[in-house]
Amino acid sequence: MGTISLEHGDRLFWLGRYIERSFTTLKAIQSHFDQALDDDPLLYQKYLTAFGLADTYGNRDTFLKRFLFEKENQNSVAFSLRCVYDNGIVLREDISTESLSYLQLTMDELERSKDLEKGLRLKLLALEDTLYGFRGCLEDHVYDLEKKALIDCGQFIERLDLYFRLRYSDEAVLPELKRLLERLRMIPKHTPYQYNTAHLSTLVELMGETNITSYAGTAITSLSCLFEPV
Amino acid sequence: MSAAQETTAIHTDLIANTEEINQLLRRYGVKFGIYKNGTFREQFFPFDPIQRVITHDDFQQLEVGLKQRVDALNLFLYDIYHEKKIVKDGIVSEDFIYLSGGYLPQCEGITSSHQIYSHISGIDLVQAKDETWYILEDNLRIPSGASYPLIVRELTRIASPRTFSENTVLDNRNYAKLLKNTIEHVNCGSIMAILAPGHYNAAYFEHSYLAELTNAVLVQNNELFVEDNVLYYRTYSGGKKRVGILYRHISDEYMDPLAFESSSLIGVPNIMEACRAGNVALINAPGNGSADDKGIYYFVPKMIRYYLGQKPLLQNAPTYLPFYEEDRRYVMDHLKDFVIKDVAEAGGYGVLLGRDLSQEKLA
Repeated sequence: MGTISLEHGDRLFWLGRYIERSFTTLKAIQSHFDQALDDDPLLYQKYLTAFGLADTYGNRDTFLKRFLFEKENQNSVAFSLRCVYDNGIVLREDISTESLSYLQLTMDELERSKDLEKGLRLKLLALEDTLYGFRGCLEDHVYDLEKKALIDCGQFIERLDLYFRLRYSDEAVLPELKRLLERLRMIPKHTPYQYNTAHLSTLVELMGETNITSYAGTAITSLSCLFEPV
Repeated sequence: MSAAQETTAIHTDLIANTEEINQLLRRYGVKFGIYKNGTFREQFFPFDPIQRVITHDDFQQLEVGLKQRVDALNLFLYDIYHEKKIVKDGIVSEDFIYLSGGYLPQCEGITSSHQIYSHISGIDLVQAKDETWYILEDNLRIPSGASYPLIVRELTRIASPRTFSENTVLDNRNYAKLLKNTIEHVNCGSIMAILAPGHYNAAYFEHSYLAELTNAVLVQNNELFVEDNVLYYRTYSGGKKRVGILYRHISDEYMDPLAFESSSLIGVPNIMEACRAGNVALINAPGNGSADDKGIYYFVPKMIRYYLGQKPLLQNAPTYLPFYEEDRRYVMDHLKDFVIKDVAEAGGYGVLLGRDLSQEKLA
């Protein structure tokens, strides 16, 4: 325990964030696919608005393809997975070759999906499966609880950030907030991941509110400043 | 069964499953990096199903012979950086030691932990048509490549189980345990770290895979520092952990900018002083290049006799050293029959085939 350098700490934290960004983006796109079956074809613009993005896509199909597969697009699943890989590959001794193999499978699965004319949603399910496999492998193979807590902190901060932006329900947000607080307690003091008490208090106070997502702006700010030095 | 018959039996199933093995290598991210036109690219490692079969009897003889050779080389390395008895006794000419690029005066007087200098030795072997094995080359600096046969063995057992159920194949998967034991044996205290130049190194898979298998911490130079001649790993909480052993994958000349190449950005300042003080074991020890160049190779059988009082169990490939007049005359008369190697080069550089030389150059 405690044999973590600044570089490794940073990589573990961002590994968690990008895993979550890949996963939640994938889930959101799946959900969007579903809604789009019987709704307005311009519904995707709401998704873009949630992230303050302009509509440079023109139509739903282009949006979906680019948000899934465009490697240069910082909002895409492909880009996030690449960032997971870039962080994961230098953490092999922490997260295991077995875990990395699931990440490679996920990236290969995404690559194979991009030229599909039909059956994309089924393929995305397979993609979710391998990503779940990767996360399960991390759960099983990362023995150092401090390292695991760093990955989890990254993951839950990213998840909450996305949930607030996408206006997920209180029922979805509250358990994730609780899980984040539990993980934060596992990070030692005097590290770059020691929480800022003021911002943590803001988040704790939100847990007592009804309709938490109406405070999305406050919550997103506190999440982004959670590790600011006091 | 002869080696040729065994080879055929093993080939059949391996060749049939080459594609599956390559798919598994891809799944497990077995890659190596190459720089082409200034750009770094990672490639998946391709699997070649054609095996080099070593029979059980041959393997046993090779094992004993290689241990004997490495024992002598370790004694030689200790000797030349201390008393230099082998030079004083006229067994090895000092020209081949002190003029060698691999000899590092900065290592004079440093005693490696347990007097082991070459912990991991990459000894190249070649088998002649008459099935005699010869030593082709000794690599004692930073030999690498062990991770690839290790993971390939794991994966071939999945994709081609018949290869292993129908043949008696010696298990190589205990390499990680052997490596860990070897490393722990010379540990000067506390944690073990593997120093790599970073993600964009050609052999990064190797560095990270071995770190995983040996439970070592994989580090880059900016995570290490020396204080009071002790090597430390800098933790993210502002603390430090002592490093007792460093398995480094960085060439000698870049290891310590205060001892060697001052422009090195990938080394650890003062690490040689920590090593000299006996506070950290470096694997392999710096300065080993003085024992593995083409000139010293000629003398290894003499070293075995000198240090161990034994007859060499494995022979060098027939070698002539034109430094000696008798050898020079013979080489000049038979130049087209020889492979000519520059004593200062390594890694396949500086090699000429006499048969390829023009009449003009031969003259």
